Amino acid sequence: MLSLRNLVKVYPGPVSALRGVDLDVPRGMFGLLGPNGAGKSTLMKILSGLLEPTSGEVTLDGVDIVRHPEALRPHLGYLPQEFGFYPYLTGEAMLLYLLELKGVTAPQGLKKLCAELLERVNLTFAAKRKVKEYSGGMRQRLGIAQALAGNPKLIIVDEPTAGLDPEERLRFYRLLAEVAHERTVLLSTHIVEDVAMLCPRFAVIRQGRVVAITSPTEAKAAIQGTIFEGTASAAELSELQRTRRVTQAVLFEGRNRVRIHEPGGAVPPGFERVTPTLEDAYLLLMKDTREPAEAVAPVREVAR
Amino acid sequence: MNAQRLGTVVRAEMAHQVRRPLFVILLVITFLVVWGLSSGNVTIESGASQVGGQKAWVTSEFAVSQTLIFLTFLLYTFFISVGAGMGVIADDEARIGPILHTTPLTPREYVWGKFLAVLGTYALALGALVLFLVFFHHGVPAGENAEYRGPLSLLNYLRPALFFGVPLLVFTAGAAFAVGELTRRPVLVYFLPVVMLFICAFFLWEWSPGWLDARVNRFLMAVDPSGFRWLSETWVKVDRGVEFYNTGRVRLDALFVLSRLGFIALGLGGVAWSVRHVARGLRGAPVRAAKGKTLADAPPATPLGVVRDEVPLASLNMGVRAPGLLSGLGHVARVELRGLLSQPGLYLFVPIILLQMVVQSLNLLGPFDTPMLVSPGHFAVRVMGQASVLVCLLLMFYTVESLERERAAGFAPIHDATPVRTLSVLLGKALANSVVGVAMLVAAGLAGTLVQLAQGQVPVALGPFLAVWGLLLVPTFILWTCFVLAARAVAGGRFGAYGLALAALCLTGFAAVRGELSWATNWPLWGSVRWSDLGAFELDRTALVLNRLGALGLAAFFAALAVRLDGRRAADSVSTLERLKPGGLLRGAWRLSPWAVVPAVALIGAAVQVGQGWQGDAAKKRAKEYWQKNLATWKDAPRPAIQDVDLDVDLEPEGGAFRTRGTYTLVNRHEKPLESFALTGGDHWEDVRWTVDGKEAAPEDRSRLYVFKTPLPPGAVVRVGFDFHGRFPRGATKDGGEVEEFILPSGVVLTSFNPSFAPVIGYREDIGIDEKENKYEPRVYSDHYYEGPTEPAWGTGTPFTTRIRVTGPAEYTLNSVGVLERDEVKDGRRESVWKSDHPVSMFNIVAGRWAVRRGAGTAVFHHPAHGYNVAQMQRGLEAARRYYSEWFHPYPWKELKLSEFPGLDTYAQGFATNITFSESIGFLTKSTPKANAVLLITAHEAAHQWWGNLLIPGEGPGGEVLSEGTSHYSALKLIEQLEGPAVRMEIAKRLEERYAKNRRVDAEQPLVKLDNTREGDNTVLYDKGGWVFWMLEDLMGREAMHAGLQAFLRRYMNDADHPVPQDFTAALRPFAPDAAAYDAFVRQWFHEVHVPEYRLSGASVKQEGGQWVATVMVENAGSGRMPVEVAAVKGERFPERTEEEAAKGPATQSPDYREARTRVVLGAGEKAEVTVRADFPPERWVVDPDVRVLQLRREAAVLTL
Repeated sequence: MLSLRNLVKVYPGPVSALRGVDLDVPRGMFGLLGPNGAGKSTLMKILSGLLEPTSGEVTLDGVDIVRHPEALRPHLGYLPQEFGFYPYLTGEAMLLYLLELKGVTAPQGLKKLCAELLERVNLTFAAKRKVKEYSGGMRQRLGIAQALAGNPKLIIVDEPTAGLDPEERLRFYRLLAEVAHERTVLLSTHIVEDVAMLCPRFAVIRQGRVVAITSPTEAKAAIQGTIFEGTASAAELSELQRTRRVTQAVLFEGRNRVRIHEPGGAVPPGFERVTPTLEDAYLLLMKDTREPAEAVAPVREVAR
Repeated sequence: MNAQRLGTVVRAEMAHQVRRPLFVILLVITFLVVWGLSSGNVTIESGASQVGGQKAWVTSEFAVSQTLIFLTFLLYTFFISVGAGMGVIADDEARIGPILHTTPLTPREYVWGKFLAVLGTYALALGALVLFLVFFHHGVPAGENAEYRGPLSLLNYLRPALFFGVPLLVFTAGAAFAVGELTRRPVLVYFLPVVMLFICAFFLWEWSPGWLDARVNRFLMAVDPSGFRWLSETWVKVDRGVEFYNTGRVRLDALFVLSRLGFIALGLGGVAWSVRHVARGLRGAPVRAAKGKTLADAPPATPLGVVRDEVPLASLNMGVRAPGLLSGLGHVARVELRGLLSQPGLYLFVPIILLQMVVQSLNLLGPFDTPMLVSPGHFAVRVMGQASVLVCLLLMFYTVESLERERAAGFAPIHDATPVRTLSVLLGKALANSVVGVAMLVAAGLAGTLVQLAQGQVPVALGPFLAVWGLLLVPTFILWTCFVLAARAVAGGRFGAYGLALAALCLTGFAAVRGELSWATNWPLWGSVRWSDLGAFELDRTALVLNRLGALGLAAFFAALAVRLDGRRAADSVSTLERLKPGGLLRGAWRLSPWAVVPAVALIGAAVQVGQGWQGDAAKKRAKEYWQKNLATWKDAPRPAIQDVDLDVDLEPEGGAFRTRGTYTLVNRHEKPLESFALTGGDHWEDVRWTVDGKEAAPEDRSRLYVFKTPLPPGAVVRVGFDFHGRFPRGATKDGGEVEEFILPSGVVLTSFNPSFAPVIGYREDIGIDEKENKYEPRVYSDHYYEGPTEPAWGTGTPFTTRIRVTGPAEYTLNSVGVLERDEVKDGRRESVWKSDHPVSMFNIVAGRWAVRRGAGTAVFHHPAHGYNVAQMQRGLEAARRYYSEWFHPYPWKELKLSEFPGLDTYAQGFATNITFSESIGFLTKSTPKANAVLLITAHEAAHQWWGNLLIPGEGPGGEVLSEGTSHYSALKLIEQLEGPAVRMEIAKRLEERYAKNRRVDAEQPLVKLDNTREGDNTVLYDKGGWVFWMLEDLMGREAMHAGLQAFLRRYMNDADHPVPQDFTAALRPFAPDAAAYDAFVRQWFHEVHVPEYRLSGASVKQEGGQWVATVMVENAGSGRMPVEVAAVKGERFPERTEEEAAKGPATQSPDYREARTRVVLGAGEKAEVTVRADFPPERWVVDPDVRVLQLRREAAVLTL
């Protein structure tokens, strides 16, 4: 179990990135959802031992990893949002080096393990190429391979599908789902679909605070029957945005397809009740301008 | 090129450059250094050093040029290289390229914009340097430095900045930009200034032997990017007088202008080339199809996805065991090494080092600028300073860039989250980068070995390299690397680390220049280590071990600090502020304190060694007390003379100990009674006991000046006995360096000049004198001071008899003056008793474990491995005995022996019958068929048996000319006798060049006033002195000269009146065939300072019948009036000879050589047209073809037709 208590991070400025995060992350897949600048990456860096928090406590299975980041490292698989590799090494040599640095062992030997891992991320064909010749997606896959290596207790992946084509993205999802049975996998993303597909539970972070901890099903259930969809002209959309809680407005065949949240009131003409999506729930949360403690978002749940 | 876009790039880049810490640090360092230098320390070597003498101004154009060259070259090239070379690399790291190069900005605008911005930034820095110079030279009150400052002339600053600063900056910036852009490797950018520093500071600026071909010299001037060699060789090397430098302009010549334009063109060319490279690289490198294929055959970069049966990850059975310290270190080092070897830097640099070291080794110069044999230990120590500077710079760049690599590659987040230990990472990187240092040392060692093999004399050996570089340099490199790790951890980034590390190097260098380093602080061992093939590191061994232990301990401390502060986890700013509070700092210091124990103990131990040593503060204080107590009373007090010396000296070389028991028989040779007399004792003497005429005595101890209140009437004799023991030298030196006398296992050297093993009669003027605190101007003598009896320059008066019994370990040979009366070994101890077979004027003891080569009345005692020149030295000794006896006076002693001592100092001394040579003199000299340097040195020292022993010059101005000048003259004569005129001419030219290079025009004293206390006096004493006696013989004729010299010696040997040059010239005058010419010569060369400088111009040749009539204009651009021959010549007079040919006998004139001569006499500024008729077509005109007239710039007195 990964536990975060009152985690605070203030950058020089001062700018507050995390403002007292409390979170328990159980074994299995766990999503961390939030807009750009919400504090997700800061949180990920703190959890992976790369950034010292201003205050607060983080424990993994009871071990304080703020005070002892070195205790976490043998048990961590980390895929950062942005990263690179030594350009002068081949993909195989790079992965092998990382396996050595992590202290990974395997009965078949590290070279064979390396080949297996490269196979799992579809990089066998480029194993002997220098990393500087890799495309962005290939580098991302090499990153995934190293994050999965070594049977880590905790895997932290920060925006992992950026740069992956749909096929590789699905392959990665399967990999994550496979490994998540026996460990904690923390997926940080702003792509709601990733969370919906992978995470039985997730937290939403906004302006450095956790504003919700829930599951996709619960989140959607909380707003069941309150989402309506219709079309609107540009002028009508402005009016709707002024008077209603618009969750989404997307252009479709030249007109605005608008979804609104109407918990109990009158539905505008031309709008129909629709099945809510996780994105509706998330966007509703993001539009709530009140401080988390005061907000009454329908998907909030008391941290367990 | 769009001017607006270009301007935008320039503005943006310049705004970035001027705000960088790099630029600010440069300005701060410049300010501090200019402030430090404004005291008059850096000026042209000209002018007079004595109080009130005219000084060379620091504000002259020449002095400003020198200062500006040093500062721009040593500081600015590093900073501008980083600024220019890292511009494109930094953009790469910021991944801004794809956005930047998809705008309308062209590669030309991008590259030129960035380059111009950097150049503009550092042009501002150059402007700041000029402003600082002007401010400190003219704005700040001068105080005691006023005599070094001239009136303000802005041109004195602007011209050097334009002529030397701008071309250097343009070249460096352009070259660094091109290197950075082409390779995109930071380390290669840093190579540029390091290579420039290495080649310039250690070769181009330093190496300029007199025999260097003028064309090669001009080439070397042209390729020096700083212009310093040109300035030095063209204007400064031959002193033109302080007035010239203070008020004159640096006049440029075509070579300099063309080379500066060349460097500017190279710099700009590098930028233009970068434009092309960037433009080509933007759209990817062009690809060619493999042979027999087309590009269409190339496989896709990524194959289509294939469906596979994937094995579950769990089935891979992966586990984790965090790597240990060593295994992690090994993994990191291996990959780092791979990265290092994949860079071209190593492959570029090693050949450069190799080449430079080979050139340098081939041209090692020893005493009298004679070439040296390369021996492993001496070579290893000689290059230690260069190697430490160079490798430290390279290690700094490699280590910092290695630490930055993860960040630059974007790999840091993944890398830093792995469980590998931080210490493994830091040390693994350091270990891998140490390959740079190893490669550099291997290249240097290889260079030395190659040269050794080429010279074919000194055998190749690995041991000295391992001892010097392995034991001494490696700890320096380990310490430096760990310091750089810590500096980077403290600074948190690349440029901060460079700033801290360069500041540490600069501070150490500054302290070294000011002589403030000691064994406790000299971490790079700059200038402190001396090598001897006879025994390594015997002197100061404990201090050296403590110093190295301290260095390794400090390395561990810095490594611990680096691990503690390493930014693997970004620190929180609030927590950091907490840690910086006093409590936090104290806690941090406490945690680190265990690491400080070893270095603190070792370095404090070294400091204690220094403090208790003979150069420590306590010893200095005692020496000063000696000076304070006794100067006024005893400095000029009359002294008794020694009549007889009887000494028993027991030596324990292993422990550096001795015991002396003995008696001096003293006599009052003065006309007045002596109420008391004094003897100076050594500071290291213990349990000193005295007797007077056999009875115990208690002289007054005035801080080691022992005053005996025993009245001595004229002619009275007293026997003073003494008994004491001690270790010598006592304790460590302050920071290594040279030691004249010592008792060490590898050898013993003790002389009667110093109170090392026997008392010195009277007060010693040099004890307790500190160069900065209490040095006083030398005594001014009246013009007639020499009339009447003159005191001797050394010793106590007339020669005396000696009996010296020396005991020591059986394996040692124990030499002293006189003949060996008894030599016995009993109970493992040797006892040698030496007795003077003819009176001597001074005595010494030299001992060692030697081999010996004996000849007719001569013997050379030498280290068994140093037999290279022994035959030649023995030949020199035998010839000296024979010919000097014929020419000057019969040699009165039975034997003439020469003994080698460890090269802890570089000197030779000619005691009667017992000459001592440092191993660096003669034994490791390399003779060539052209110039027999070994013979020169041996002949000079052997001549001191006559000039310095049989004849002791008088104390006072000019006295030493009669020992050193006459010995050089004797050596020239002996060389011509044995080797023929060609070798004599070549050696005479070397002496002449030394004189031209080292004299101080304005401070130069005539020979009769020379007291060897001013800068430039030494070359006048030896080189000019030798030449003057040579020319005197030319004037008088050989036989008349010999007769005069013999009469002179007969007159002054064994006399209480000791001669000075006035006595000499008076003694020889009766033998001169032309008294008027003799007087004119004596006036010109002994009483005045003149040197001719001949120039040839307007040469023409026409054929008349079967003859050629050649005409040339000869001018004496110097001073003085001398008859000189001018010859029109054809062919080489003495062609080059191999060593085998040289061994057959003296060089003879080539039969193909033809010449036609005439003679002119030209005074200062006078010209004369000379014409000769020849029955051959002349090829060139030569002034003074036989090298018989001392002159300046002889190479300019040749005109090729």
